[in-house]
Amino acid sequence: MSGWREALAERRPLVLDGGLGTMLIARGLGRGEPPERWIRERPEELLAVHRAYVEAGSDAVHTNTFGANPLRLRAFGLDAQGDELNQRAVGLAREASPTFVIGDVGPTGEYLPPVGKGDPEAWYAAFHAQGLALGRAGVDGLHVETMSDLREATVALRALRAAAPEVPIAVSLTFERKRRGFFTVMGNALDDALGELARAGADAVGANCSITSGDMRELAAAALAGLAGAGLAVPLIVQPNAGQPRMADDRLVYDQSPAEFATDVGAIAELGVGAVGGCCGTDPRFIAALCQRLGRGLA
Amino acid sequence: MPVPTFEQMRDAVVAGDIELARSLGKAAVEGGVDLLAAVETGFAAGIREVGRLWEEGEYFLPELVQGAEAMKAAMAVISPVLTAARSGHQPKGKVVIGTVQGDLHDIGKTLVGTMLEANGFEVHDLGADVPVETFVRKAREVGAHIIGASALLTTTMAVQRELCERVRAEGLGSKVHVLIGGSPTTPGWAESIGAAFAENAQRAVAVAEKLVA
Repeated sequence: MSGWREALAERRPLVLDGGLGTMLIARGLGRGEPPERWIRERPEELLAVHRAYVEAGSDAVHTNTFGANPLRLRAFGLDAQGDELNQRAVGLAREASPTFVIGDVGPTGEYLPPVGKGDPEAWYAAFHAQGLALGRAGVDGLHVETMSDLREATVALRALRAAAPEVPIAVSLTFERKRRGFFTVMGNALDDALGELARAGADAVGANCSITSGDMRELAAAALAGLAGAGLAVPLIVQPNAGQPRMADDRLVYDQSPAEFATDVGAIAELGVGAVGGCCGTDPRFIAALCQRLGRGLA
Repeated sequence: MPVPTFEQMRDAVVAGDIELARSLGKAAVEGGVDLLAAVETGFAAGIREVGRLWEEGEYFLPELVQGAEAMKAAMAVISPVLTAARSGHQPKGKVVIGTVQGDLHDIGKTLVGTMLEANGFEVHDLGADVPVETFVRKAREVGAHIIGASALLTTTMAVQRELCERVRAEGLGSKVHVLIGGSPTTPGWAESIGAAFAENAQRAVAVAEKLVA
């Protein structure tokens, strides 16, 4: 196996990791506390989570840098540490010895008018800064994920490409099921959005978070048909949640079992996608069950 | 502008046309239209239609926000006139309202605020993504009787609990009622956190009236 780009194109598929934020919350990260704070304060916990995923069979793990762009870090007074946090997070992921370390890039948390007051130029600068830091730290790939606005996803892709021209970049959006199909909350239709990202040069496109693995089966089939219909050969990445969250006492609970998740995501794998993994609520048991379902024999 | 119809008011909000909604509001005031009816049958009917289109998957967040902004533009013209017409009468109560932190869903909350205002409450709308501290600070500042807190995500419902706890911890519990709503919320959830509950804007008016009675 050479680089991440080639591995995705094989469509075996690659097995990614599962939820990171929800794992850290389970280990005591407080609500409203940025997970990036643990890069310096509780590195051993982070390393333990990365290791657990590698042991469960993940080929690739995401760095704990979902919110490590200057715009989000500023809210916690951490923006001056941005470069260092990104760099250290890559080191922690690498220490768990996965085949690939993927630099995780989440949204700025801002929205364009009329919803919010976001500024695409500020976004570009933020993603560029994060891309430079992750690129210098030697990631094998970058994954822009949980984007709900195609425009922000496209800005991120451009900025990361400029910051780290050699690094493969995947871009995943988060979709909701509507009567007429799958859309982001901003109204980007599945086919249009993935097609536009592919044409903008993404090395892989995908969907993560928000919907269950059952809905994601349908989404994956629709996305593959849409890409094929548009003559786009870009691999697909699919990372569902462990079901829909609900409130129980003071905590968010995800009800799906690892076996159910593995059944659905196993079926997605058979469609010929580039990579599968989990999002919120999934943990190493889900990845182990998935690997078993895929006959990887690591579980 | 000639005296506008309720349908025109409704349509302006559905189209998210802020300027048109504002001038229709102005024309309604100048034309001596029954303003309570203009709100309920005109503009609020529009925002309910926007909500329905959102539920149907025809509208998305930008259209939702745009519709709410059009509604607010009309209300900015109508509210002062409604209030002046009541001058001499005390407001039924003072309400601080907002959507909780981490949640951008503005529309249900805006509709509740509008209906409360139209029905004689003094309403302070803090917008969306409002931190607990801001709710509490504003409630103290204006001497609110009710804090209305909306959450549209299962992930942000917890902030409603936090708000209730903060209100009690700050010793406001005897003076300020918390009224919650939003699609994932239930009467059971409200009861478990010590809040009042309303499933829609019409109910919110009735519940609020009961709370301040």
